[in-house]
Amino acid sequence: MRAARSEDRIEITRAVIPNAEIAAQVRTDGDGAVATFDGCVRNHSHGRATLYLEYEAYEAMALAKMQEIAAYIHANYAIRKIAIVHRLGRLEIGETSVFIAVSAAHRAAAFDACRYAIDTLKKTVPIWKKEFFADGAVWVDGELPPVPAETPAAKPASN
Amino acid sequence: MTVQVLYFGRLKELSGTSEEIVEVWDGALIEDLFARCSTARPELSKFRTSLVAARNREFAAWNTPLSAGDEVGFLPPVSGG
Repeated sequence: MRAARSEDRIEITRAVIPNAEIAAQVRTDGDGAVATFDGCVRNHSHGRATLYLEYEAYEAMALAKMQEIAAYIHANYAIRKIAIVHRLGRLEIGETSVFIAVSAAHRAAAFDACRYAIDTLKKTVPIWKKEFFADGAVWVDGELPPVPAETPAAKPASN
Repeated sequence: MTVQVLYFGRLKELSGTSEEIVEVWDGALIEDLFARCSTARPELSKFRTSLVAARNREFAAWNTPLSAGDEVGFLPPVSGG
């Protein structure tokens, strides 16, 4: 399993995410672009008013999957640094649940890598959100990640 | 052999626990483990087709053989971000 580079910031936190600080941290003087994604809590879902969200995670595996995303980006996009920070616990309307920042010499790679990061996170990282409404709460119906093909059934040992 | 089973999200709420140690036979597959867990917790059984399994923090096919001490997660569809 590939890991992110040591200068990347790949993190799961329960504290308020410091968006501006993270964006500033990925930039170096060789970069002409920093692309960012701010995933923030929306006040409605499927026609209902949302009061707040709660996020939980399979933390060890989620961090590993986030590291894999960063490693893939380094291998496939001409970018310099990546930050992916996801928050868990209760989040209020307007708060940032996930923040991604990517620096690069040129903007095309920064935009594309940032898009790849959030799209892939939403399909593969074991994090779940629950939406709370005035008259109840639901676990958001998410995506089933791709799985390796079924392995052929092992033949029983013959003696 | 024993393996550790982890529950998350809706499954954790329904089963009332986040983890348990389960005894299975040598050569048991992940789907055998799920069947055993569903026998003890029948509310889980209807989720079989809407879950993904993870073995030692990697997504795994249902017919993956288990080893002693494995960490197996039964994961609902993910909704991070």
